[in-house]
Order: sequence, then C-alpha cells, then structure tokens
Amino acid sequence: MMESCANIQEHLGAWLDGELAPVVGERVELHLKQCPLCLGEKGRIERINSTLKNTLAAEAANIPFAPFWAGVHARIVEERSWQVRVVDWFRLTLTPPRLAWAIPAVILLLLGVLSLERFVPGLGFGQTNLASVESIDGHGMNVALLRESQTKTTIIWLFEDHEAETESTPEPASADPAF
Amino acid sequence: MELAEWDLVRKCQNGDLGAFEELSAKYYRRVFMAVLGVLNHRDDAMDVAQEAFYRAFKSIKRFEGGSSFYTWLYRIAMNLAIDFQRRRKRNGTELTENFDDAMFAQGEMGSDPYREVRDRELGGRLRAAIDGLTPDHKAVIVLRAIEGLSYKDIGRIVGCSEGTVMSRLHYARKKLQEKLGSDL
Repeated sequence: MMESCANIQEHLGAWLDGELAPVVGERVELHLKQCPLCLGEKGRIERINSTLKNTLAAEAANIPFAPFWAGVHARIVEERSWQVRVVDWFRLTLTPPRLAWAIPAVILLLLGVLSLERFVPGLGFGQTNLASVESIDGHGMNVALLRESQTKTTIIWLFEDHEAETESTPEPASADPAF
Repeated sequence: MELAEWDLVRKCQNGDLGAFEELSAKYYRRVFMAVLGVLNHRDDAMDVAQEAFYRAFKSIKRFEGGSSFYTWLYRIAMNLAIDFQRRRKRNGTELTENFDDAMFAQGEMGSDPYREVRDRELGGRLRAAIDGLTPDHKAVIVLRAIEGLSYKDIGRIVGCSEGTVMSRLHYARKKLQEKLGSDL
C-alpha cells in the first residue's frame, strides 16, 4: 500500500537535505517513483534552494574584499585601547634581532643619565641622605646647625667649660648669639 | 578544522591582524550572503557582516576549536542579523531593495537568456517572499540553501535543536511555496 502524500511531503525536505534515517528515506524514495505529485513537490523545494543560493551568490560576487576589510579593520583599530596598541607596538617592534641592540642601548642610556650629576651638579640624581654641619659660631656659645634633610635641622649648642669662662670674663655673655 | 585554518586562528588569538585578514578573505562572501538572506538589504548586510567579523576578532581568544571556525563565525553573524532584523521591525524601519534590478545590472546573459531572466525574476520574488518570514525561519532556510549545512550545524549556529531546525525548515518551505505558487 502506498504511503500518503501528506506524510511523504512532511519528510521530503529533510530527505533532500540528507537528514532522514535510511529506513524512512527508502520509503520516501519508493513513494517518489510512483507519485508525480510528490515528485513535483520535490522539484519545487530544489528550485527554492538553488534560486536562493544563486540570487545571494550573485549579490555577494559584487562585493570586493578590500572595502569590506577596510570597514572591519577600521572597527578593530578604533576600538583598541591605547594599552593594547602599546603592547602591539612592543610586540612588533621588539623582535629578537632588535632586542639584541636595544637592551645594551637602554643600559648605556641609563648609565649616561646617572653620570650626568658629575657634569651638571644639582640635577639631583646623586643626592644622598648624609647629614652636614653648616655653621659654628662664637661669642662664648658655639652653635652648630646639623642639617639631616631638607626639612630637618637640629640646633646644637656647644658649651666649653662655661664656669671657667665666666670667672675669667666679668662681662656676661651676649644674650643674642649671632647666627 | 583543517590544520592551516587552526594555525591562522591561533595566530589571531595572539593578536595577529594579518592572519585574521586571511580568514576574513576566505569567509566574507559566505557570511555576507547569509546575512543578506536575512536582512534583504545590501548596505545593512554589509554593515552587519563587518560587525560580525569585528566581534569575531574581539572574542577569538574564547574560541577553543570545539566547532569549526566558520560555524562559530556564522553564529556571531546570524545572531547579529536576527537581532538587527528584530530591532528594525520594532522600529518600523523595514527596508528592502529591488534585487531584480540589482541582478539585471550585473548584465551578461548566459547560454539560455530566457531561463536566466526567468530565474532572476523568480529570485526577486523569492527574496520578497523570504522577507515575510520571521528572522528565525529566514536564518535556517538561508543557511541550508547557501551552505548546505547539516541540521546539527544549523542548530549550533542559531541555538536550537536539530528537531527545531527540521520543523522550521519545513514550515519556511511551505510558506515560500504558498507565496510563490505557480512561479516555482
């Protein structure tokens, strides 16, 4: 007994797409040999597929790659953050052969900058934290200014045998030590 | 996935734009065709296809090779096209072009001019008929027609089961046959 056309047409598309189980596929094939109606249906599905493919392919054939890629490339470049671009630049620039001269060059540059202090004092590259004594004054009370940093200054009063000095010198010491 | 292609993908994952250009050159027409099939508008299709490639490059580090590269790329492109189409429908800015004219403009008749003219006319009507389908139905019929993709691959691309692909295809073909009637 021949299977109903409605049942076959339900599976016709999947059969054409090669997606039916072999057992069902055989039933469809058998039916098509005997049924011109379903054979016509098969032709219509094939026509839809081929016409759609040809229409779209004809459209796509007119699209050259260069302008298409230009659009994609513009989006990629626009979106990339500066960090990514810097990393990319380093990746492309610092290839092994270039690194061979770049590393010694950087070391030389650093040494040069650090030695500038010798020729141009006050640049600040060679500053240390050593303390310095800046002044020692007289008038009976000697004072030393100990500068340990730019913000810390210690005043040191230096007394030398104060009692003996008073006995031998009748005049009192000046109240305003000069700095 | 073939070795050369996987090699290109790996290079892209390391940020090699040249390798991505090679992959783009290989697939841009096919992606454009698929997107055009859904959107039925050349400029929009161009824009969406370019956006798809851009997004593919952006997220290629996440591609692990579980499926073929083009399936993965199609998935991005079709999702974008379907979203675009839905947005366009919501905004009421439905756009179509006269592809009959566009196809005629390509000139050059083949060996059977009568058949070619008939095919072109049918192509135009078919495109108009497809435009009446939902984006989901358009996607499956376009992917099947232009790529001959398996239901499994189509399911991966549009994010549904093989059974759903089968039923969507059946429905879409029925609708197209109804609309085109005796033209087929």
